Amino acid sequence: MQPTQDVQSPTTNSLIHDVRNPLNRISMQAEMVKLVLENDMPREKAIAALDKILMACQDSSAALQKLAEHARTDETS
Amino acid sequence: MSQILLVDDDKEFTDVASNIIEFLGHDVEVANCLEEAYNCIEFQRFDHILLDFMLPDGSALHLIDKLNTHDKVPFVTLITGHPSVKSIIAGMCGPNVNYLVKPLQREDLEQVLSGKSKARKKAKSSAITKHFDCLVGESAAMQELYQMIERVGKTNANVMLMGESGVGKEVVAHAIHTASNVEGPLVATNCGALSRELIGSELFGHEKGSFTGAVGRKIGVFEQAQNGTLFLDEITEMPLEMQPNLLRVLESKRVTRVGAVKDTSVDCRVISATNRTVEEIAQSKVLREDIYFRLAVFPITIPPLRERLADIPLLATAFIEQLNAENETNFEWQNAQLDQLKAYGWPGNIRELRHAIHRAFIMSDPTSNKITLPKNFESPFAKNQMTSNQVTAGQTIDDVEKELIRVTLEKVEGNKTLAAEMLGISTKTLYNRLNAWENQAQG
Repeated sequence: MQPTQDVQSPTTNSLIHDVRNPLNRISMQAEMVKLVLENDMPREKAIAALDKILMACQDSSAALQKLAEHARTDETS
Repeated sequence: MSQILLVDDDKEFTDVASNIIEFLGHDVEVANCLEEAYNCIEFQRFDHILLDFMLPDGSALHLIDKLNTHDKVPFVTLITGHPSVKSIIAGMCGPNVNYLVKPLQREDLEQVLSGKSKARKKAKSSAITKHFDCLVGESAAMQELYQMIERVGKTNANVMLMGESGVGKEVVAHAIHTASNVEGPLVATNCGALSRELIGSELFGHEKGSFTGAVGRKIGVFEQAQNGTLFLDEITEMPLEMQPNLLRVLESKRVTRVGAVKDTSVDCRVISATNRTVEEIAQSKVLREDIYFRLAVFPITIPPLRERLADIPLLATAFIEQLNAENETNFEWQNAQLDQLKAYGWPGNIRELRHAIHRAFIMSDPTSNKITLPKNFESPFAKNQMTSNQVTAGQTIDDVEKELIRVTLEKVEGNKTLAAEMLGISTKTLYNRLNAWENQAQG
């Protein structure tokens, strides 16, 4: 339960959504890596998934930066 | 193995998720927008749809609306990364809809994709008899209905189902289809939900390029229901100018797609449904007489719930068993609660009963097995129906007396002593009346 999030402004909600999407990719690609390792699948698949995780980390960082800037603007206004 | 449709605009997510879902042993199709999802559900049946709430060309609600017009609605898991819509989604959840919040894990997918089969296994252990695999109730009115379904199932006669809103006309159509033991599918369409421009294409199909927007050939519902059953809901809402075309198909058993030169032979039973009475149909002239006689070769009137109060405990038990199976809970009814349900008139019929039980289920404490029923069930829609349900010439004194006792009991939340006092009769007389009606209903 996260009742406080539901009353955030539309912009904040949208920014949180933008952070969750790359996090979702990271989570699923990590599951993929686990599947590859647990089932002796080709290691290239695991490497491709790990590359995508690294890219999604960059995306998450950019999205968090936007969220931080929005929070700063809110505080000063 | 289930057929899964994954709908999400994040292509990287759909790629990796579809790999994982395939690894879990399911067949998966991917759509990256609503338009692609519409195409998928038009040509393929799915057991489960994993659906992103916000898509570039609309919301998940559009697809759910579309799915509800199908004869077999798949299980839907809504996926959202948007915190503000989480509470909205939670409110939409029901026996066939649940939700997941991003970021997802493989365990989440495993759980939602296996949840349905678990529910099915549990449902099988129910003590409630489901006639024709879908109808619940042992009252005299329902026994009569079962007999009619059994008889008409053996013929290929067209059936018109009449009854108030919420009595379960589509479920009865399913029962007739099951009793028919035909090879083809049951295809359902709602004549009231189709625009005047599209109804011809929906019913009879169209050829590529036959009108602006006809980008490919479309098979109409008559052809889809070949060797099976076609269910035309809200038939009286069909535009009058379209009815001659329908009559021609019913008479000739041949259909011509919009823009086609040749016609095609069709063989299916047509079950139509309306919430109007025969008198209303005749007076309001919403259906041509010749169409009526073609469609209503065997008319069946489905009784409203207030005429089969004895079935309420069975229905309530069936609904709660289904919810228990789907949510892994163990709620049980208490006799007093079943009496409370029987004391209300349910003007919205089984749909309203189901809704009230679902609401009570959500409100109940999941750590106990006790269901929390609201103090009263009245809805604004029910009030509208009740105020229009006034005394009219032709009603018997017995009917009016029954109605008066019913509304009084509702008013006092089933308290019989108080109700007897308000009605100016003894409690014993009230009990005698209620018992007599119950015996009557049980036949």
